[in-house]
Amino acid sequence: MDYDPISVALKFGFLAVLYLFLLVIARSAFKDLRRTTSPAPDATGFHAAPAFSEVVRGEDAWLVVERGGGLEADERFDLIGGLSIGRSRESDVQIEDRYASSLHARVFSRDARFFVEDMSSTNGTLLNGATLVGEAELIDGDTVQIGDTVFRFEVQ
Amino acid sequence: MTSARNRELAALVPVAILLTAGFAAVFAQEEARLGNLSMIYGAYFLAVCVATHIYLRIRLPNADPYLFPLVALLTAFGLVMIYRIDDGLARDQANWFVMGLVLFALTIQFLRDYEVLERYRYTIAGAGLLLLLAPRLPGIGQQVNGAYLGVKIGPLAFQPAEFSKIAIVVFLASYLREHREVLIVGAKRVLGVTLPPLKHFGPMLVVWGASMFMLVFIRDLGSSLMFFAAFLALLYVATGRFSFVVIGMAMFVVGAWFFASTVPHVHERVEIWLDPYQDPTGSGYQVLQSIFAQADGGLFGKGFGQSLITIPGTDAALLPAAQTDTIYSLIVNEVGLFGACGVILIYLLVAARGFKIALLASDGFSKLLATGLTAVFAIQAFVIIGGVTRVIPLTGVTLPFISYGGSSIVANFVLLALLLLISDRARREAVEPADRDLVFGRA
Repeated sequence: MDYDPISVALKFGFLAVLYLFLLVIARSAFKDLRRTTSPAPDATGFHAAPAFSEVVRGEDAWLVVERGGGLEADERFDLIGGLSIGRSRESDVQIEDRYASSLHARVFSRDARFFVEDMSSTNGTLLNGATLVGEAELIDGDTVQIGDTVFRFEVQ
Repeated sequence: MTSARNRELAALVPVAILLTAGFAAVFAQEEARLGNLSMIYGAYFLAVCVATHIYLRIRLPNADPYLFPLVALLTAFGLVMIYRIDDGLARDQANWFVMGLVLFALTIQFLRDYEVLERYRYTIAGAGLLLLLAPRLPGIGQQVNGAYLGVKIGPLAFQPAEFSKIAIVVFLASYLREHREVLIVGAKRVLGVTLPPLKHFGPMLVVWGASMFMLVFIRDLGSSLMFFAAFLALLYVATGRFSFVVIGMAMFVVGAWFFASTVPHVHERVEIWLDPYQDPTGSGYQVLQSIFAQADGGLFGKGFGQSLITIPGTDAALLPAAQTDTIYSLIVNEVGLFGACGVILIYLLVAARGFKIALLASDGFSKLLATGLTAVFAIQAFVIIGGVTRVIPLTGVTLPFISYGGSSIVANFVLLALLLLISDRARREAVEPADRDLVFGRA
């Protein structure tokens, strides 16, 4: 078989277009990588970093993860400005729990005191083991349980 | 977001040009003339792709813009190569391509709310296992080269493993989504190695058992490896524990080694892999010819339509199963190392887009499903490319979207449809940031 010039030209043309095309797509993939600003806390990228909107004066307080929710134990969520807890992406603390509602509960501060409020969740919220009705004040060491997920309230 | 769709449309043009160039090169070789037939084929291909693109524009405006063009490129590669082997087969393949796109559209139409898959996970898992076992059922099963891969019901013949891989990934994703917490929480550290809790070790053993079962009863090393590796990828993403992956791999190696020495069919495959020269004209023929074909291709290949597939003057195959198992060797032979690296790059980019979708997805099930589908797709490409390059034993897995075969094309288009469905939702949520202040009643 002789090497037909047309055939050779088509082959190299094909390879050139192929690589140009792949280069363009690869470039956009790298651009995407650089655009990712905050690195995921672990390889799975399951845990979204909490966002804060507003700083309220008062004592520093945290919700500390005891167990469950697809969160790392001892992970701390700063309570400045309040936090919403639920299964949806919109929640500040996104938990993976079968018994959690998409917006399950919120923690907020009023006059330098902290409160937890159940947001009419389907399965309810337990404060220190008792069902929470409406809102209640949080005291250092309190536990808040949503489904199988348990948080501890800590003040500085 | 229409810019994603515009990029998709723009990316489809070079794909159609590549298909046209490929066909033109094959025609130039076969008929020693440049007709306009390649242009017509290219136009048909572009028309079909643009029709799909318009459908995506209406249904999934936010979906990943590059996945479909990349897959179309793989299909174009396949069509050119298969046409080059046999134009009748290429016509079949083109029909399967259109059929695949129809099923792709139907999947997107009816599974918009793909969470329903989670509700029917045990049904789906059962169907997947039944499909896997179907080739062993008397009456409808078919044995091909010692492995039970095909099913024939009346005029309809298909390879059920292609479909069951999707079913099993759906099941694993939904199962691990629910149980990932207990797998992490219950884990204990023994001698510095994190072991999964014994109670939840069961599912892992079941999956391991299933893949070993496949090895023995279906005698399909490739699918077995594909399923188990996808499971380990999912397990790693669900738990973030690398030790689970190591334990799983060790279990697979031990099992595979045991069965490789006891099941004759698997044993033979391994023997051929280790030493193909012991029977160069018999069992080792395919692997050896595949390697020679690749070496013969060199850096830039011999050109489209130039490689010998049958021994001149006879019908005997120089490259056995060129349209299915060894199509990768044929590509290396015709477009060389550069062309082959291009093909591998396409698969890598598809995998990168797939994992990107998993990163963007907001809920656990979507993340795991996208990971699993991408992993099973990438591993399938690895298993067959690894097989023909003698990295691992050669098995009869298809090269996704390139190999000749209706089941493979159609099943992989369903897989692509699911990935794009997840992508559309994830990217839509990413561009419309949730308004958390509504929760607190602040402006």
